[in-house]
Amino acid sequence: MKMTHSISIKINGVDRKLEIKDNELLLDVIRDRAGVKSVKAGCWRGECGLCTVLLDGKPVKSCFVLAIEADGREVTTAEGLAPEGQLSPIQKHFVEKGALQCGFCTPSFVLTAHYLLSVNPNPTESEIRDYLSGHICRCGTYKQMIEAILECAKEQNQAKQAATQKTRR
Amino acid sequence: MSFGSAYLTLPEFQYLKPKTLQEALQLLDEHKDEAKILAGGIGLLAFMKERLVDPRWVVDIKAIDELHTLRDEGAKGLTIGATSTMNDLLAYEPLREKYKALRDCISLLSDPVLRNRSTLLGDVCEALPYVDGPTPLLLFDAEIEAASVKGRRRIPMSEFIKGVAETALEPNEIAVATHLKSPPEHSKSLFMKHTSSSEFSVVNLAALCANPTKPESRTVRFAYGAIAPTPARVHELEELFKRKTPVSQLIDEAVDVIRKSTEPMTDVLARAEYRSHMLEVMTIKALRRLLGS
Repeated sequence: MKMTHSISIKINGVDRKLEIKDNELLLDVIRDRAGVKSVKAGCWRGECGLCTVLLDGKPVKSCFVLAIEADGREVTTAEGLAPEGQLSPIQKHFVEKGALQCGFCTPSFVLTAHYLLSVNPNPTESEIRDYLSGHICRCGTYKQMIEAILECAKEQNQAKQAATQKTRR
Repeated sequence: MSFGSAYLTLPEFQYLKPKTLQEALQLLDEHKDEAKILAGGIGLLAFMKERLVDPRWVVDIKAIDELHTLRDEGAKGLTIGATSTMNDLLAYEPLREKYKALRDCISLLSDPVLRNRSTLLGDVCEALPYVDGPTPLLLFDAEIEAASVKGRRRIPMSEFIKGVAETALEPNEIAVATHLKSPPEHSKSLFMKHTSSSEFSVVNLAALCANPTKPESRTVRFAYGAIAPTPARVHELEELFKRKTPVSQLIDEAVDVIRKSTEPMTDVLARAEYRSHMLEVMTIKALRRLLGS
C-alpha cells in the first residue's frame, strides 16, 4: 500500500513541495515540515482555534484538515498577511490596542479577524464576538481584540470613503 | 475516550479522492465497512484521533461536483448536497425565512470557522443523540437520498436514524443529498436548544406553524431531539392544534402530550428528569412564540 504522497502547497505565496503520509494533519505539516510556527497546536480537537489558517482564503482549523486535502491549494498564515517587516492593517491595530498578552493565540485571531473584515467590512461588536467564538484566548484579551477590530474597520472605511470622494472630484 | 495524550495523531489509512460519484460508489462497494466517507471531516477525524474509528480507506467526496448542490425548487422543495458546508447553507437566501428552523439550527452549531468545513449530511450521518441537524429536517419531512452501485433510494428522515451512531445506510451506500419538502404557505418555524456545559445538546426542538389564528386551517408541526437516542416528530401534539379550543389551553395540553409521548434518557450529559423538565419549558416557549399567545 502506498503510504506517502508528494504534494505541493502554496504557503504564503511560496510553492512548497512536501512528501507526506496520508494520515498527517495539515497543522503538523505546516508547523513541523514547512516550519511555519505562527500556526499553533492547542487542542487538536477543533475547540481552541489556535491552528487556524486561511485555506484558499477561508479560515479553517488545520487540525481538522488532512495535509493531502491541501494539495494544489493555497495556505495563508499570519506571516503571509503583509510583506516581511511590515504589518497588515489588522496586525497594526492589535499592536496599537495592546490586544494580546502572551501572544500564543494572536496569529489565529488576526487571521480570522482579517477574513471577517474582508467579507464584512463593517461588523457590529456582536458580529465580531460571534465570528471569533471558535477561538480561545486564555489571557482574556477579548475586549482589546474587539476594540482593535472595530478600530481597523473604522479606519479602512474612512480610507475607502476618502478614496471615493477623491475620484468623484 | 482517552484524554491522556496531548498530541493527537490519526491512525494509518489510505486516502482516496474519486472524481465521480460512480467511482466513489465502486470504491465503497469494494471496501464496505473498511472505508469511511470524508466530507467536512469534523466528526470522522475526531473519532479517528480517539481511535473510536479506524478505517483502512478514507474516501474524500469533495471532488465530486454533483454532491456540492444547493437547489431551491420552490413548491417542490429544497435539495442539499452532501458536501455543501454549513456556511454555504447560512449564505443561501431561501433558507432565511422559508426554512428558518434549519437556518437557526445551523447558526448555533459549533463556530463560524468550523462551519467552513462541516456539512449538514455529516452531522445527520453521525447519528449521535446530541447532533442537532436531524430535528429541523424532521420538521420539513426531509428524505435522505442514498446511492450505491445498485442505484438510488430515498429514506425518510424519520426512519434514517436507527439508534446511537446507527443509520439506515448500508455499508456500500453514500448519503448523497437531503430533500426537504416545501413548508405550508406563510408558515413560520423556529429551532431551540439547551446545551450542557460542554456545548452538546441535551434537548433540542423544532416547531412550525401556519395560520395560527384560524383553527380550521391551522397547521402545527413539532419535533425534538437530543433527549433520547433518536429524534422524533410528535404527531399527537400536531393533531391537538386542529381543535377550536383556546390556544393557551391547547399549549397546556401539548405539554401533557409531550410528557406522555417522550422517554428522556439519562446519560453523561444530563439526567432524564432534567431533560424532561427542560423540554416542557422549551415547548411552552416555542409554541407561545409561534402561536402568539
